[in-house]
Amino acid sequence: MIRATLLATTLLAAPAFAEEFRWAETTDPQTMDPHAVNSSPVLGFLNNVYEGLVRRGKDMSIEPALATSWEPIGAGEGWRFTLREGVTFHDGQAFDAQDVLFSYQRASDESSDTRSWFAPVSDVVVVDDYTVDIMTTAPNPIFPDSIANWMMMDSGWAADNNATLPDKESGNYATLNTNGTGAFRVTAREPGLRTLLEPFEGWWDTAEHNITRAELTPIQNPATAVAALLSGDVDLINPVPIQDAARLAGNDAVKVIQGIEARVIMLGFPHEADALKYSAETTDANPFADARVRQAVAHAVNVPAILQTIMRGNAEPASQLVSPAMRGFSAALADRPAYDVEAAKALLAEAGYADGFSFGLKCPNDRYLNDEAVCQAITGMLAQVGITAVLDAMPVQNYWPELRADNYDMYLLGWSPGTFDAEHPIRFLAATPNEEQKLGSWNFGGYSNARVDELLPMIQSEIDDTERQAMLDEVTRILQDEVAYVPMYVQPLVWGAKSNVDLTQRPDNFFILRWVTVN
Amino acid sequence: MADTSLPEVPVKDPSRLQLALQSDFFYQFKRSPVAVVSFVVVSILILSAIFAPLIAPHDPFDPSSLNLMNGFSAPMTPNAFTGETFWLGTDDQGRDVFSTILYGMRISLFVGAAAVAFAMVLGITLGLLAGYVGGWTETIIMRVADVQLTFPAILVAMLIFGIAKGVTPVEYRDQMAIWVLIIAIGLSDWVQFARVVRGATLVEKNKEYVQAARLIGRTSPAIMLRHILPNVLSPVLVIATISLALAIIAEATLSFLGVGAPPTQPSLGTLIRIGQGFLFSGEWWILLFPAVTLLTLALGVNLLGDWLRDALNPRLR
Repeated sequence: MIRATLLATTLLAAPAFAEEFRWAETTDPQTMDPHAVNSSPVLGFLNNVYEGLVRRGKDMSIEPALATSWEPIGAGEGWRFTLREGVTFHDGQAFDAQDVLFSYQRASDESSDTRSWFAPVSDVVVVDDYTVDIMTTAPNPIFPDSIANWMMMDSGWAADNNATLPDKESGNYATLNTNGTGAFRVTAREPGLRTLLEPFEGWWDTAEHNITRAELTPIQNPATAVAALLSGDVDLINPVPIQDAARLAGNDAVKVIQGIEARVIMLGFPHEADALKYSAETTDANPFADARVRQAVAHAVNVPAILQTIMRGNAEPASQLVSPAMRGFSAALADRPAYDVEAAKALLAEAGYADGFSFGLKCPNDRYLNDEAVCQAITGMLAQVGITAVLDAMPVQNYWPELRADNYDMYLLGWSPGTFDAEHPIRFLAATPNEEQKLGSWNFGGYSNARVDELLPMIQSEIDDTERQAMLDEVTRILQDEVAYVPMYVQPLVWGAKSNVDLTQRPDNFFILRWVTVN
Repeated sequence: MADTSLPEVPVKDPSRLQLALQSDFFYQFKRSPVAVVSFVVVSILILSAIFAPLIAPHDPFDPSSLNLMNGFSAPMTPNAFTGETFWLGTDDQGRDVFSTILYGMRISLFVGAAAVAFAMVLGITLGLLAGYVGGWTETIIMRVADVQLTFPAILVAMLIFGIAKGVTPVEYRDQMAIWVLIIAIGLSDWVQFARVVRGATLVEKNKEYVQAARLIGRTSPAIMLRHILPNVLSPVLVIATISLALAIIAEATLSFLGVGAPPTQPSLGTLIRIGQGFLFSGEWWILLFPAVTLLTLALGVNLLGDWLRDALNPRLR
């Protein structure tokens, strides 16, 4: 009887207690500004706070958010968005077309990292308070699909707080404070320590979650995160270290949620550099400018071994910039260059580097699954064909600035196409960097191919799927032939949660708080 | 001057070794089982670290010799390619844990010893100066020492390491890491030496032999180095031994925190940091063996230091 009463009390007490939700991620979102940095930890987190005109549902499909409907204008001159009425920002200001125009200007400014998203846009016209026309330079059938992460900011709030433009380097008011329209508002932000969220009472949509308070804690050490989950300090960790997934799955108190992420992990090269930056002896030449050397790297990296040991069989090899699950994947070009030490050595000899050379390999150590271990393994594999990599692994907040400053001879990059379409990485990673046209903004090495640049706008405006795929195939073939990048594998997605947590895992690795219920 | 050495005396003097074996010091050593055991253990560890290239079956610092497919081999399993046995298993990169420990211990011991030597030279010099010269020199040196004592040593070391890393070009960072570690640990450790030496110097400098030396006109540096220093060395020796254990642990701590020896040239602390990531997944050997080695080494050196302190302390006889 006593036991029954006790049980009843615990059951009664549990929901009230459990509404507080705590989760841990390896990377702290480096800014709260939705237009400052185009990276998943930032956009993924801010999707809980800010909203775009459209948003992605549980199956990644596009659904109405701040726009209730949209339709093409004329014969493809642009898109007309009808805005949702009665939406307010967290500070109580109403949302209208002026905020869309402002958010466009802010997000497409030169100081913004999200500039490339607006490459196809020629103009944004406010028709009335709740109607906006977004004009495109050419017909762009996938445009509404491409702006799910373009988040709306209140023009008045930004102006009042002197944050009308994003500031990537030194930061401004919007770096630490938020004012979105989303389901949650940030109540406290301590960079690197914790971020507190509470549900936004005035949210326009019906809440599905039962959370009253949420807390994000960055835990850089994966083993510490696992310990925190097992001890009940956090309700969810992202990611679960690959090596611990099997063990956690066997524990009744927690569950492992696994999927294939959209992210392809690859090696990048300094295509434009005149000389290596971190070489002991090759200081006046850039071997990586030679496609044969890049091909040798592709042959030297033993991807199956990386997948079997470091990834413990939880990842798929990649041959191109997108994974097979993405729209526009080139099925005919699905094979990776084989692991072949002899071929790699022969190619190096042919390029005049039979004796090898040394160079600097940059790597993040808190961004991708086992990133540092993968880089270390690559160092060993490259040493076997005679080229010596000096590995420099660093936290991601130092990593992007280093890459932007061209401080690398080779680097590790993971790319997840925000649009779930093969066109996305071409625009960001393969197009010749061009500030004005907002192209190639993550093409750090300055890879450039005239045919790729020519095909990109054609791909963007092509409506016929077969034609479009043929062009995508051509680009993929060029990128493979020239070894613009060395795609290695598609990163697995492994989250761990307490077994009483219900949630939805999206392949873009965004953790969406409004789909979480704690039972 | 002509050669003044005397012709060889035919009387048989006891040799140095005999003298040492008959000494009070050695007698005490023999009588203490703790001292003998820890001495033997530490000697074995130091020798195996020195002769690591001869003992270790693999060269773990040569990335081209590794094969990733050997990763996570359990202890006593064979190499999939050559058939050799990995006695203590391999880590995630397929590195032989036994070889890595031997090489890692080399780095740990070298960093520890060099850091203590650096701290000792710095501490003795400043301590002698402060004790002998006195006045403003003393005030400044000892107040700096006091201030530094208020910061935890590891924090000071991390600060120095961070600054040094910032100013070193990346291509030299791996080579520099070891030296930066030595300087960082040394700089965080000199206060102990300076305090003890200053205290002893204050006592010694008023003794007759120092006054005599001063009277016959010896210079201050000569008095400090030739007359006072030999008489303050025995407590320094004790501190040095105990500091060695602490320095080895400090190095391991820094490397464990990821600011020390690079993963491509791991010290014991780096190995423990790497192994700690595989604790939940069941690959215990990557963590356990380096940790046990570090524990044994630090404990052995510490016990030796303790015994040395007792043996050299006249009040305990």
